[in-house]
Amino acid sequence: MAVTVYIPAPFRRVTGNRSYVDGHGQTVGELLEDLRTRYPALGDMLQDETGEIPAHINIYVNNQDVHSLQGKATPLNDGDEVAVIPAIAGGQGLSSDQLQRYSRQIMIPQVGEAGQRTLLDAKVLVVGAGGLGSPAAIYLAAAGVGTLGIVDNDALELSNLQRQILHHTPDVGRPKVESAQETIARYNPDVRVIPHRLRFTAANALEIVAQYDIVVGAVDNFATRYLLNDACYLAGKPYIDGGVFLFEGQVSVFIPGRGCYRCLFPAPPPTGVVPSPSQVGLLGALPGVIGVIEAFEVLKLILGLGESLCGRLLIFDALTMEFRQVRTRRDPQCPLCGDAPTIHELGDYEAFSLSALAGHDAGQKEAV
Amino acid sequence: MFTIEQHYIDEMVAHARQEAPLECCGVLGGKGGRVLRLYQATNAEHSRYRYNIDSQELFRINRECEENGWQFLAIYHSHPDGAAYPSPTDIRLAALWPGSLYFIVSLSSPEKPGVHAFRIRDGEVTEEELRIV
Repeated sequence: MAVTVYIPAPFRRVTGNRSYVDGHGQTVGELLEDLRTRYPALGDMLQDETGEIPAHINIYVNNQDVHSLQGKATPLNDGDEVAVIPAIAGGQGLSSDQLQRYSRQIMIPQVGEAGQRTLLDAKVLVVGAGGLGSPAAIYLAAAGVGTLGIVDNDALELSNLQRQILHHTPDVGRPKVESAQETIARYNPDVRVIPHRLRFTAANALEIVAQYDIVVGAVDNFATRYLLNDACYLAGKPYIDGGVFLFEGQVSVFIPGRGCYRCLFPAPPPTGVVPSPSQVGLLGALPGVIGVIEAFEVLKLILGLGESLCGRLLIFDALTMEFRQVRTRRDPQCPLCGDAPTIHELGDYEAFSLSALAGHDAGQKEAV
Repeated sequence: MFTIEQHYIDEMVAHARQEAPLECCGVLGGKGGRVLRLYQATNAEHSRYRYNIDSQELFRINRECEENGWQFLAIYHSHPDGAAYPSPTDIRLAALWPGSLYFIVSLSSPEKPGVHAFRIRDGEVTEEELRIV
């Protein structure tokens, strides 16, 4: 196939100052080989050592970037117009302080500077600044997740401090999102914290979730958990769910299209069967473990590392110090993400409510 | 010495502020050393630390300039928290467009944005004096 190749100004020094040259090939890959034999210097610019198109070279066939077609395998027809235009790219990159701060994770080959930039560009929402949300948010912030949204409507109570490590004793009485923001700023000034001091409801959930890439559920009531699950599915966001009860914790990851919390638990336990979490004792280290696992799952998703907990429910028994796993899968009958869904928008979640919101401890305050 | 009208400087700063904390980017097209049009472009990286002009937009901007007989006189981008000086990445990738001047808008002091222009050739950075008219 005979095609015309457009050469932009910066490449004309290697084509005898010509704006167009002829080329031949059945595919873009063959054309690049053809150009290399006739214009060796141009060929070197358009292919790297492995014969691939370099990251910063755009090749177009009839005005379409071949990245959106079939890359090097994109077929050519007689008379096609091919253009090769170098990218206009750059950027401030990481500062020397950032290279030092994150050096222990940058030295992981699968992370590197590119992974660190990805973390700094990531936006994660943590719903609940309590026992689960505290360790999750702290590790995400320390790792340099650049934007952290924190949702919590409560003021700090003295009885929260036994597990809610985002907050400190002088913060009692203050809004938790405020003390969370201050704590995170002291850990890592790179992180932009967006405080959402409000009750997370069906009326505001989608709007908030839409601003983030990944959502961490750190709540202790079923109403908010089902709301989070539905909002994340409808918004197409991965949802990391964590929960604790007495000496046991659970974590899972729900990626839209691969099952949701409703597939696993179609309905919450009947009211009265399970006591409200605020009535049950808890050692703070338990939500510590679960919140840190939630943070690790977020980091894995952002960095594309390993195998996420998607498709598995991890159950932790602190008394025996045992982790068990249950396989989970998308339920075709699921009313949210099944084959014939009946839930298309956020509805009424009050019916799910059988417990206080995270952070309200029994004997301190009435349930919300 | 590069001559540029004040409103182009203002447009670059406004674009940088609008995109912050992400980097913004664009192209100044013109002829005979005179800027005739500022093209705001989409940063396909959507990043605070990187920019890469969306490839389809780059194609359109390049074609429009070719049709008008214009060149890419200058390329601009912002450093939302960094200095108005080319980073190692900027210097490396400037090899792709060695004939262009590189404007960098720094927002590290948000009230007093810095705008500087550089020639970057063979890894050598030289600041270009600006005559703003």
